[in-house]
Amino acid sequence: MAAAEPVSGPTYADIDRSVRRIMEPPGRAYWVWVAFCFTLVAIAVGCWVNQIYSGLGVTGLKNPTMWAIYITNFVFWIEMAHSGTLISALLYLFRTRWRTAVYRAAEAMTGFAVATAAIFPLIHLGRPWNFYWLLPYPNERSLQPDFRSPLVWDTFAVSTYLTISILFLIMGLIPDVANARDAAKGWRKTFYSLASLGWSGTDEQWQHWSMAYLLMAGLATPLIISVMSVVSWDFAMNQVPGWHETIFGPYFAAGAIFSGAAMVLTLLIVLRKTMNLDDLLTEWHFDNLAKLLLLSSLALTYCYICEIFMTWYTKDPFDTVSMHMRFFGPQAWMWWFCVAINCILPLGLFWRRFRRSIPVLFVLSILVNVSMWYERLMLITGSLSTSFNPAQWGFYHPSFTEIMITIGSFAWFFGLFSLFARYMPVISMTELKEGIRWLREALRDNYYPGLK
Amino acid sequence: MSEGFSRRSFLKLAATAGAAALPGCEPAARKLIPYVVPDENVIPGVPQFYATSCTECGAGCGTVARIREGRVIKLEGNPANPIGQGTICARGHAALQGVYNPDRLRNPMQRTSSGALKTIPWEEANKLLNDALKAASAKGKNRVAFLGQAHQGPTLRKITEAWLAAYQSNRGIFYEAITDTPARDAAEMCFGRRDLPVYHLDKAEVLISFGADFNETWRSPVELGRQYGEFRAPKTRQGKLSVGYSYYVSPRFNVTAARCDEWVSVPPGAEAAIALSVLHVVLSQGWVSPNAQINVADLKNFVSSYDPASVSQRTGVPVKMIEAMGERFGKADGAVALAAGDDPATHAAAYVLNAVTGNLGRTMEFLEGAPPEPESSSNDMVSSLESMRNGAVDVLFVAETNPVFSMPAKWQAAEAIKKVPLVVWAGGVPDETAAHAHLLLPLHHQLEDWRDTFPRAGVHGLGQPVMQPVFFSRPLGDLLIASARESGVKGAAPWENTQDAVRSGWEKLNPKAAKTDAKGFWVSSLREGGYFEPATAAQVTLNVSALKTSPATREIPKLALAAYPHPFLYDGRGADKPWLQEIPEPVTQLVWDTWAEIHPETARKHGISKDEIIEIRSSEGAIRAPAFLSERVHKGIVSVPIGQGHSEFGRYAKGRGANPWEVLKAGRLCVAVTIHPTRERRELVSALYEGKELGRPIVEAMTATQLADGVQPKEWQEPEAPEPYEMYPAWNYPKHHWGMTIDANACTGCSACVAACYAENNVPFVGREGVNNGRIMSWIRLERFFPQKEYEHQPLMFLTPMLCQQCNHAPCEPVCPVFASYHTAEGLNGQAYNRCIGTRFCENNCPYKVRRFNFWKPEWPEPLNYQLNPDVTVRGAGVMEKCTFCVQRIRYAEITALVEKRPVHDGEIIPACAQTCPTNAISFGDMNDKRSKMMLRRVAKENKGRTYKSLKSLNTLPAITYLRELYNEREKA
Repeated sequence: MAAAEPVSGPTYADIDRSVRRIMEPPGRAYWVWVAFCFTLVAIAVGCWVNQIYSGLGVTGLKNPTMWAIYITNFVFWIEMAHSGTLISALLYLFRTRWRTAVYRAAEAMTGFAVATAAIFPLIHLGRPWNFYWLLPYPNERSLQPDFRSPLVWDTFAVSTYLTISILFLIMGLIPDVANARDAAKGWRKTFYSLASLGWSGTDEQWQHWSMAYLLMAGLATPLIISVMSVVSWDFAMNQVPGWHETIFGPYFAAGAIFSGAAMVLTLLIVLRKTMNLDDLLTEWHFDNLAKLLLLSSLALTYCYICEIFMTWYTKDPFDTVSMHMRFFGPQAWMWWFCVAINCILPLGLFWRRFRRSIPVLFVLSILVNVSMWYERLMLITGSLSTSFNPAQWGFYHPSFTEIMITIGSFAWFFGLFSLFARYMPVISMTELKEGIRWLREALRDNYYPGLK
Repeated sequence: MSEGFSRRSFLKLAATAGAAALPGCEPAARKLIPYVVPDENVIPGVPQFYATSCTECGAGCGTVARIREGRVIKLEGNPANPIGQGTICARGHAALQGVYNPDRLRNPMQRTSSGALKTIPWEEANKLLNDALKAASAKGKNRVAFLGQAHQGPTLRKITEAWLAAYQSNRGIFYEAITDTPARDAAEMCFGRRDLPVYHLDKAEVLISFGADFNETWRSPVELGRQYGEFRAPKTRQGKLSVGYSYYVSPRFNVTAARCDEWVSVPPGAEAAIALSVLHVVLSQGWVSPNAQINVADLKNFVSSYDPASVSQRTGVPVKMIEAMGERFGKADGAVALAAGDDPATHAAAYVLNAVTGNLGRTMEFLEGAPPEPESSSNDMVSSLESMRNGAVDVLFVAETNPVFSMPAKWQAAEAIKKVPLVVWAGGVPDETAAHAHLLLPLHHQLEDWRDTFPRAGVHGLGQPVMQPVFFSRPLGDLLIASARESGVKGAAPWENTQDAVRSGWEKLNPKAAKTDAKGFWVSSLREGGYFEPATAAQVTLNVSALKTSPATREIPKLALAAYPHPFLYDGRGADKPWLQEIPEPVTQLVWDTWAEIHPETARKHGISKDEIIEIRSSEGAIRAPAFLSERVHKGIVSVPIGQGHSEFGRYAKGRGANPWEVLKAGRLCVAVTIHPTRERRELVSALYEGKELGRPIVEAMTATQLADGVQPKEWQEPEAPEPYEMYPAWNYPKHHWGMTIDANACTGCSACVAACYAENNVPFVGREGVNNGRIMSWIRLERFFPQKEYEHQPLMFLTPMLCQQCNHAPCEPVCPVFASYHTAEGLNGQAYNRCIGTRFCENNCPYKVRRFNFWKPEWPEPLNYQLNPDVTVRGAGVMEKCTFCVQRIRYAEITALVEKRPVHDGEIIPACAQTCPTNAISFGDMNDKRSKMMLRRVAKENKGRTYKSLKSLNTLPAITYLRELYNEREKA
């Protein structure tokens, strides 16, 4: 924030300056943080190597909870990605104004979240070195994957999604990287020159780029629905009570947007605080993100109610018991925690005061992320724990290896995002400039009533 | 099975007889020889079968050992043997883990002065032994003692006695921790003879067991289990389709009780009073058989103080219950009372009950030419121990028994043995007694050795070595013969070796055959696994005059320890075998531990909570075990299985649980105790979560009346569902469609199928931790449920084998991304282990939860891995595995049929579980062949309305059809 109250709103140069400031060589604290993240990643990798060497016995998996934390992490990260795509692609198509300042961070989050998620199916395999058997590749035994299996659909869905979201991210970056290139020196200059793919900012380039970006956004948007549905089918296509539900597609989509919005909030609040971006990321932006959070929370609550209603309405005996165990069983605390955080707390966002309070949003977004993680764990292990044969019930408890790998996945994600934030334009200069009028309005409404 | 000789039995016999080469005839080479120079009789990949005898207990079942490339890999029942009739129990199967036990003594060892063990050569060991023996016998008579197991078999007994004679001793102690002495005492009192009767449960329609665990360890469990299966099978009795009515009278609910109609919970030691009271009812109501020729007046005098009212007052058993038992028993067309326990009065009452109702000679009979009492009397044992303590014994030879572990604390066996200057221990896995020995000698296992058995009149089992010895061990008989010769006494042991001794005794069995064709008789006996002749029933009469005085029944203590032999570990001898440790005890479902089963009310009174370690103190000592709260014990007892609590005995037994022998009195399994909470806990480990079925149709039951009337039981009726829409076309099974019919009613909970599956399919054991972590690997398990409160009329316990149902619409198949789980053309749910990448999706989607995942690389410490079946892949870590109806056996038969250009016959393929089931509860066959025995069972008249599919509403279309459990409605007591 400028020291004296500005008379006119930010200019193009102001935007360039602010964003380029983020990309200046980082200080010591930054490197400590990045080193911390990648140390945790190294520990997790060590745990994984040990797991590959000794077998899945090092996990807390058992009969009947054959899936647990690893699949939870997979679903958690893939769902997080969806919210990023929603903000960057869907809101682009709708020409939403507040999107411009936040979308790049959301898009980066998507890319890294999918990259994190994609590792988990491998970690979870009993014999991960044979993972490529999931792919249809020509081989002399004519062995192909079973296309009836939701896991094969999953393989396709996730790899498609990973490709699209990375391409979309890179595409959007081109003009901004070129912008950074113009101001950079030394190795950065070389790096940005390569990364900007020869962008020179001609009218023709802008025209093609805009069209390509629009098309990519159009391609990415349906993936929000399709990938999320396919992931939900990993469960819904089973007959396990608590999984075998048609609501799982929308249920997972609502959850995805909810947890993703929360993660975008967390990331942006940290970014704003550490990089002094109050001018670019205003309360107006956070207000809108909070509204998205509230909306998705309501949608999720509706899904919860639907699920309970359907169980009651169908009177399926297996489902009823499974649901009962979810509410009152030995691990019922997970359910009640989720209800409190996902359904009740976000209702506070009906008040503008909370929507615009950065500390409230920060705490809430962290809580939502935690509880959404538990929600997936509850859905996955809870249902498996109490399926058809009561003699074979059993409740899951995580092991050290699983916990370390989970922590490592968070470290991996945050480490990658931290690197991205300081070496790539984490806020889109291009789009901010396009919508500079809206930014000025936001600044006027929120901070400087005297602004022209 | 019927009296006739079934095709199944014939094929088994043919396979047995096909084996001509007899390994082990030569003086044994001392180690396994690698398969470099093949024997011309051995075709790699083709199994050989040798008939031999099981000596894991004294029941005397015959076994057929399957040998592959010179190693025994599987034991099955010998169909020619009249006791097992082609089946064996879990303990019989686990003999394999005895022969390949990694903790077996490998070489002779001597204890040095520092107490450490030193390997010595056999020559030195023999010299040490024989020199000491010579010195001892030179000092005088009876300076040498032999302590061995009672069920040695006649020849080994003969050799032992010859050896003792050579060293001028008569101190042969033949010890068995759990004896039939009370039964023999009672028989002597009632009938004037000390032998044990044989039973025909199948000829009865009412059965009362006074604490006899005939489905577990009592007498001859395989034979009695089979008979009980017949007893409980629906048959037309007195013009109506019905099942036998059975009572189990005991303070403890075990799997025998679970398979009866009523469990009469009595205070500890009150079985005799109930038995006498039932007799009172029978006599006073005049249900005495006219054929029995018994002086009723005298008998009435005998039971006069046991009228139901006063017994009811003493024991808390309702008068109505006692009267009903008496009435059913007296009126039945064939009834049998069985008795177990340490109180001769119970046995006497049961004998008299059978006799007065005319069932002597019908459901219970004594045979002429019964084997002599195998055990030494306890007086002999005590006096021998006393002489050891006094230094009157110089050499003690302990063979194949573990007195230090299982003798009552009062006898102080360890102290006595310590006083002997030279203690020679001979056996397999060094046990607590070996810890006190100076010289340890490795003995051949029963599968490496010549033996014979004589469990009952007319049954002479022959045991031949089925493979070369695994370690540097020697046969006990050879050792004793050689040692006896060393004594210098002329003609001390007139045999060359054990084989010679067995054979010379054998020729006396059938002198006529031996005279005409001695060799032929010998070879045919070897092929058949013994010589079996019909035995004549003895004419016995009840000696009423001996009963005139009223028997005194015991005081009922306020709180008693009711110890019982663990169904698989028995008196402790099974504890070194991991299969037996890992197979859950069917009622409690607990593994790898000792537990103290106690009523929740008693626990509350003593301030004891679940899994809390309690100290059980008797006048003899104290043991500690975690409490297992259960409503299935009498409030006046704490019930503890015998078998654990070893301080030696190999890695699988050592340091596990507690040893109840330490608190028991001589000859008793029940003792007054006090219990004390310790505030320490140890979690008891079970493979099972919930004991209630929650109304789900997993194991179903119906009453005998419903069966007779053709009415379906209400609690399992499902609403009429429309024909489900099928997305995929139905499977087509052009050749075969394998299926099973499992009679849940016939399952006695013996768990032989589980053990057989472990052996056949290389199923790894996972140990206590593994089971606790929910990773038990068994492909077949006994699914047990207790009825819920609202269904109290239902059977006492539901029990049925649960294994892969080989569904037509298998939920496991479409979810596998790589076709590791696939549908075979013969209807099996195949599992391609090499293709499996371990997504575990299949197990998630399996409603029966019968798939098992290898969380670790399975391990069989050498030489346990020698037992692995080469026909079955050993699965590595990260792979899902499951039951495939023993697909290796199916393929073997199909290929054989193909080579012989003929179709596969019904009954030619028998999966391991079905093969070993004593009650034939499991049958296997081709569902395309409507005339196969398995299919006929589903449509048999007596099974009408009994069939069900487990969890049918899921439309998985299992290939296993179950037949409902049957039970009689209980009177409301």
